[in-house]
Amino acid sequence: MRIVVCVKEVLDPDAVNNYALAGHLEIGEDGKSLTQAAIPRLMNGFDEQALEAALRLRDAGAECRIGVVSVGSDPAAILKHAAALGADEIAAVAQEEAFPDYHVVAALLAGYVRSSGGADLVLCGRQASDDDQGVVPALICESLGMPLVTNACSVERVDAGFRITRVTPDGDEGVEVSGPVVVTVSNELGEPRYPTAAKKIAARRMKPEIITPQSLSLPDAELQARVVAQRQFVPTVQGSCEFLQGETPGELSEALVARLRQDGVIQ
Amino acid sequence: MTSKRIVVCTQGGDEAAASDAAEEAFTLGRRVADASEARLCWLVVGPLAEGATDRAGRFGVDDIDQIEDPRLDGFSPDAWVEALAGYCQQESPALLIFGQTPETRLVAPRLAGRLGAGVVMNTVDVAVTDGGDFEATASAYGGDTRVVYQLSGAPSYVVALSASAVSPEPAAGGPTSPQSRAVSAGLSGTDERIRVIEEAKAEGPRLEEADIIVSGGRGLGSPENYKLVEQLAEALGGLAGASRPLVDEGWVDSSQQVGLTGKITRPVLYLAAGISGASQHMAGCSAAKTIVAINNDPDAAIFRYCRYGVVGDCLDILPELIRAVRS
Repeated sequence: MRIVVCVKEVLDPDAVNNYALAGHLEIGEDGKSLTQAAIPRLMNGFDEQALEAALRLRDAGAECRIGVVSVGSDPAAILKHAAALGADEIAAVAQEEAFPDYHVVAALLAGYVRSSGGADLVLCGRQASDDDQGVVPALICESLGMPLVTNACSVERVDAGFRITRVTPDGDEGVEVSGPVVVTVSNELGEPRYPTAAKKIAARRMKPEIITPQSLSLPDAELQARVVAQRQFVPTVQGSCEFLQGETPGELSEALVARLRQDGVIQ
Repeated sequence: MTSKRIVVCTQGGDEAAASDAAEEAFTLGRRVADASEARLCWLVVGPLAEGATDRAGRFGVDDIDQIEDPRLDGFSPDAWVEALAGYCQQESPALLIFGQTPETRLVAPRLAGRLGAGVVMNTVDVAVTDGGDFEATASAYGGDTRVVYQLSGAPSYVVALSASAVSPEPAAGGPTSPQSRAVSAGLSGTDERIRVIEEAKAEGPRLEEADIIVSGGRGLGSPENYKLVEQLAEALGGLAGASRPLVDEGWVDSSQQVGLTGKITRPVLYLAAGISGASQHMAGCSAAKTIVAINNDPDAAIFRYCRYGVVGDCLDILPELIRAVRS
């Protein structure tokens, strides 16, 4: 079977969050980009777990070829990381726009899947940690005419289909699908593996296949942007916290409970 | 039927009409409809609950369309996408607004893909530009930033509205008297491609419905200390939650995770112990009426969201707090 894993390069969300927590997150002159040059770029964490789900299928004995694809101006670094982890093929769909419309991204990814021999399983992270939109997998599934299973924490091969456990607000749900499917993977899948040093060195020599959007012969309408990021800003939070006073933990606790009872929040 | 339409779509049933999410979506829908001289329509999938028409009228809904079909009961994504795509092709709404839930996170973008529409999730606001385009503001980086998207170039748009992003406000122009009409689901006979073979079993009460939640974070130091969070929750008659690091470390089950990728809660009281206040976490609790934090760092981000703050080590404070609540 052929598995295609879609991955995206993002700014390290923990680093972004640390700047935000410290109140130092700033937007550059273009009105869109974060200015902090020190923030490392890496593979979106959920996408890394999607790749891990593919590797676990292979570990479980499924005969498969794993292709990893990314849309971007220079996704070579994350694709080499994917190769070091065990991807058989790596491909980059060239796209220069820094904030590409994700409808276009989805069209390019679906076009790649079709033109590269199709897929029995398309795996994506549940969302990207930068824009949090999580719509690309759904747009790919509609473009390919496949069903979509979201928030998987385990994927197993069953006959010509798959058995998938998905995380829902009511607990884990088991589902089955008998043919090709798009699956998004959630963090509950567990820690992704690390590449070995030898595989890292071998992967350095692997070059991603560069795909031009033109070569995918997509209709113009699919490549036309319809949702365009205009600007990005850091929201302000209105702080009005009253800090409770007391000399000891006991006094502080009494003060808090008294306040909450006074406000009728607790009995 | 030539006038522009803004459609709010919710799942029917007894609770839907009363839900905060529906009122928030009506409020946004009315605002957008006024700004774009459009009619506001409420599309209900499932039965129309008692009193729902009056409630919709208070929020300025002009028309109610109702689709009922046994295949749309529960959650059947293929049927939902097919029925809603059929409806949109018939009615050509300029904008379709969902309240964001795990289900609409799946259905909204699939519907957009089916229709060739544009879609924005995590939406906190929609404005209408001078040129008549929609402009959607959505949260990004787990809530650390907002991105403003211009919606132009597609015939229609689908947005999912984040919980509590809009405060419900009855229509400024006074109540309307919407008429409801039944619309055919127009479903073909095909089966769902995804078969549920093991239902999710919610064990016990749900965090989403809790009035009081006590959550713990990294500041607890070690897994054993999480029992203090559980004890305080029990003493207050509430439920225990957690931030994502505790789930990732395996201290607690993922069903207890509060945050953008966990539970989106709306309690009366949210008490956070040893949680720094990352936007990712706050996305799951900022709708709480009263937020209280215990943190040993007086500059912790979480205090910006709080009504009350206690500066101190949560391992010192929690046992005293349990005692004070019980007394």
